[in-house]
Amino acid sequence: MKHIYLCDNSIDGIFTAIYQAWASRYGHTNIKIEEKSEGSSYSNMELFAEYIPVITEPSLAKKVAKSIKEKISAETFEMVCRVALSDFEGKADLIYRFLILGFAAGCGITEQISNVVVNRMFRINKNVNNEAHHLLGFIRFSEQSNGLLISVIHPRNNVLTIVTPHFADRLPNEKFMIYDENRKLAAFHIPGNSWVIAQVPELERKTLEEFPAYEDEYRALWQTFFEHIAIKERINPRLQRGNLPLRFRGDMTEFHNVR
Amino acid sequence: MVVQESMSVQKKLEILSDAAKYDVACTSSGINRKGNGKGMGNSIAAGICHTFSADGRCVSLLKVLYTNECIFDCKYCINRSSNDIVRASFTPQEIAELTMEFYRRNYIEGLFLSSGIIISPNHTMELLLEALRLLREVHHFNGYIHCKAIPGADPVLIELLGWYTDRMSVNLELPTAESLKDLAPHKNRKNILKPIRQIQLGRRGHREFLGLPDYKIQQPRLSGPEAGDSDITEIIASDGRMIPFRNRSPVKRNFVPAGQSTQMIIGATKESDYQIMSVAEALYDNFDLKRVFYSAFTNVNRDERLPSTEAGPPLLREHRLYQADWLIRFYGFKTMELLDEQRPNFNVVLDPKCDWALRHLELFPVEVNRADYYTLLRVPGIGTNSAGRIIMARKSAVIDFNDLKRLGVVLKRAVYFITCSGRTMYPIRLEEDFITRQLVALKDQVPQGIDRGVTYRQLSLFDDVNFQPDSRIKMQQAFV
Repeated sequence: MKHIYLCDNSIDGIFTAIYQAWASRYGHTNIKIEEKSEGSSYSNMELFAEYIPVITEPSLAKKVAKSIKEKISAETFEMVCRVALSDFEGKADLIYRFLILGFAAGCGITEQISNVVVNRMFRINKNVNNEAHHLLGFIRFSEQSNGLLISVIHPRNNVLTIVTPHFADRLPNEKFMIYDENRKLAAFHIPGNSWVIAQVPELERKTLEEFPAYEDEYRALWQTFFEHIAIKERINPRLQRGNLPLRFRGDMTEFHNVR
Repeated sequence: MVVQESMSVQKKLEILSDAAKYDVACTSSGINRKGNGKGMGNSIAAGICHTFSADGRCVSLLKVLYTNECIFDCKYCINRSSNDIVRASFTPQEIAELTMEFYRRNYIEGLFLSSGIIISPNHTMELLLEALRLLREVHHFNGYIHCKAIPGADPVLIELLGWYTDRMSVNLELPTAESLKDLAPHKNRKNILKPIRQIQLGRRGHREFLGLPDYKIQQPRLSGPEAGDSDITEIIASDGRMIPFRNRSPVKRNFVPAGQSTQMIIGATKESDYQIMSVAEALYDNFDLKRVFYSAFTNVNRDERLPSTEAGPPLLREHRLYQADWLIRFYGFKTMELLDEQRPNFNVVLDPKCDWALRHLELFPVEVNRADYYTLLRVPGIGTNSAGRIIMARKSAVIDFNDLKRLGVVLKRAVYFITCSGRTMYPIRLEEDFITRQLVALKDQVPQGIDRGVTYRQLSLFDDVNFQPDSRIKMQQAFV
């Protein structure tokens, strides 16, 4: 019989499930780990399988993290974390399969990129990194009357933890908030303190709509600049779309009601 | 000429970004710098694109001219003194404030400041210097700054500017001295090469002062085409007469840490691709340039003495030059391998690497499991990333064609040139005509959006193309 571990969709949740699955001694082939999918309730249950709910335990997750760092490598640990932040369905089981290989092969595992499991990890890792890198450029802050900088984003992957340190380093004297509306997560930075990420379910759409409504002169200046920097003779919407996919544009100042 | 004294910043930005858009090189790359915890800003060596304008080009920096007033009369330039256009100038304060406020909102990665020449090169440089000094010293801006050095300015000013910027560039404008004399009578090629050489030596001197290794291994001079370039040889030979270089900076910064670049206009004069690439290669070899940019000529002045660009600027040619530029910088190619006197221009339908491979079929097929890195790089469809991955993956496994696809190799191109464990993917005739036909049929040989004029459209019963101009546009929109 198949044993399916159902865990939280978080790094700690996935690591806890991996610990418990490993300790259960059911055998790797009889085990599957599934993360609770984002948003909607779980509806895709399998027949002839035993579902084991996993309660996230940070102490167990810490043990798994420690083993990855010591028995494989710190670099691999970062890669696993980034995959755990992705929106790929089945990432928990993928990480489990990857770690089975990794604990056997040691730090050389990241070089075996022709292996199907390692290759998939590698690609998802790259995808998360790419989106994070895109957002370093595509995030737009708008200033509130009290000087707070606010940015709303809708990323596919949970990249807030990856992008926030960059902005904290770049804008050390600014109060800012980056809000991931898809996950209701927000990163806060206050000068002199380190940044934090918090779940903010109570941040209503209504409160949010007041943010972009605040107009300052620099928004208009930026839109002017954006409009005039394009060379008319070279207009190429396909190239523009390839470089800047439409899904990012909703959150970008220069695409808001350009005159 | 209209000079308006009281113009809003909005209007100035309109005019001066319009005037700056023909400058390429809006990159923010080449330097990793953490924030200093006090001022605003940091920098990432890979560069960050902040948006893409309607022409699909990356916008990374606030690219503006300080002023579009100019005493020079270069025929290709929209800002030439004989044009009757609205002229405007920023003040150093306006530049600094725009940059800071845009940067805070994460619109930009930094500033790209260029300028028309107002009164004299020295006067212009002093204005640019004041804007950068305000940014760095008053606003404590720690982000990226790319600034143009004005040829003909005093070497002391050029050096001073170098301490405030991350990247500097001097525009070569046109590949050869003759065409420069034709189209930009006020400019002189040696005057352009001199500051390039000065910045190069300054960078070397400063790196030596800091004890950083000289990353560029000096290669013996080629007896290649650039040996005939008397300007370059002369500038290189005159090292001793360069101005003394100070190792002390007026600010606590490095000297042009992200290196320098230059740009050339393509298609305004009669040079062949071979000449252009030879000049570019000579610049890379002799001046440690980070990048040479190629800018497809647009006849903005509708000047009859210059080629017409009614059918659009020569974008495909520009694209091929960039492809070849990459081959030279990252793939170990030499200009002489790609082009020569007999074939001075790039193939229109094939990219330079495919074109080279087809002329050297005796070197193929390459065995993926054994070939070294530089041999792999010569295979069409294998790039620097996928070659690196192949080397990595084959340490622990034998690679087959399915693996190659997963490693990011473009099999539809590579398949004609490689074997895995001694076998091709399917029986292939290693024959020039056959492979050429197959490669030309691939759609990716001409990049998206610049294939205007050669696109095919399905015929339609409702195609009233010549009936009414208005309905035609509507019709096309309906089909898109």
